[in-house]
Amino acid sequence: MICAWKELLSILPQWLRTQAAPYEAELEELRLRCGRPPELVLGTGSKWGTETVSQEDLNHCVNMASRYSPWAAATISRGYITAPGGHRIGLCGEAIVKDGKLTGIRTISSLCIRIARDYPGLARRIHFRGQAMLILGAPGWGKTTLLRDISRMIAQEDTVAVVDERQELFPPGFPTGKRMDILLGCPKCQGIETVLRTMGPDCIAVDEITAQEDCQALIHAAGCGVRLIATAHAAGMSDFRRRNVYAPLRESRIFDTFLILEQDKSFHLEEIYP
Amino acid sequence: MSYKWIGAMLIVGSCGGFGLSITLHQKQEEAMLTQLCRILDEMLWELPFQLTPLSELIRHTAGSTKGVLRAVFDGLAEQLDRQVLPDVQSCMEAVLRENALTFPRLRRMLLLLGQSLGRFDLSGQLKELTSVRELCGQELKLLQSDRDTRLRSYRILGLCAGAALVILLI
Repeated sequence: MICAWKELLSILPQWLRTQAAPYEAELEELRLRCGRPPELVLGTGSKWGTETVSQEDLNHCVNMASRYSPWAAATISRGYITAPGGHRIGLCGEAIVKDGKLTGIRTISSLCIRIARDYPGLARRIHFRGQAMLILGAPGWGKTTLLRDISRMIAQEDTVAVVDERQELFPPGFPTGKRMDILLGCPKCQGIETVLRTMGPDCIAVDEITAQEDCQALIHAAGCGVRLIATAHAAGMSDFRRRNVYAPLRESRIFDTFLILEQDKSFHLEEIYP
Repeated sequence: MSYKWIGAMLIVGSCGGFGLSITLHQKQEEAMLTQLCRILDEMLWELPFQLTPLSELIRHTAGSTKGVLRAVFDGLAEQLDRQVLPDVQSCMEAVLRENALTFPRLRRMLLLLGQSLGRFDLSGQLKELTSVRELCGQELKLLQSDRDTRLRSYRILGLCAGAALVILLI
């Protein structure tokens, strides 16, 4: 297992470092809310810290994660920044809205730090023979971790273009595949079009399909004969069928393989539309 | 008799020199504020264009400066790279503690710059920088208004004070 643990600790205030340090192997999320003790979400449940998180502590985390340049992170207008090591920090607080669009956060009141972990070899027993695979699971069930390893595995043989909008799939320190090209920080729909046009990939990997535009870009790429691997928020096939946002994917039937995750992080393959 | 005259000349000279040093100090502060205005302009162009991370931006802009200001900006970039202090303001305060600045206006402007950096949104950051740039320009204007007359009067006052001291002593 690879985890940029030092990088995670380096963004935390000193008192919080000492409280988080014993949970290196099991910490999944760190939730910091102003005026409340920190919540350490572990695989087995939550633990609460002893001291209270202050506004200064929250600012400290954001400043360290962004190298004192939170305004420079393009993703802050989407409510998160990616810290060194690929750890994603979700932000909540007083939003700045311009022309009806979220442009930033003025005062931060809570942070949700998701710890990025890599398990090389996790996908070894997955035999992906189809044209397109969709990984389904609820948040925190390990979709990104699996996508990372599957795309790395495919990249040993074929050229894989990874569109990593949130910059958390392959942060520095996580091994990449031999034939892997990574486009960082680009919105998924534009990124898919770009790599399709410029990199000539055999396979495109994208994390978290959350919008209809992303679905359309995937359908377009599938039409060009490129293999796809993507992840989507859905706790199973029935949940996937219920969600409107995925309607274009269902109708186009581009995905022939579904990798369904369970809460206990186990998974099974379902091959349909043969 | 000759000792008296030598003493008198030394007193007048040193008082005149004191007036002259005040004049030079003011000129230096003016030059520093001009440099700071230029740095702020550069930051305002660079920020929305490339979204350069702060430590790189500071280091890049420090390259075009010299003297105390160069030391302050280099020190600030180092502090930011070290990632120990919680925000930019604390980093700037630490750097100003290390580099004793004898220019009060420049010091105030640098502290204001430290407070203004590190906003969470780009437009807010640009607004803050613009207001610091305006304040810096105003300070510079204030320093430049009637500059020649004021600086001449410092020199003359120095000489007059020296002469008065000589008369009193003789």
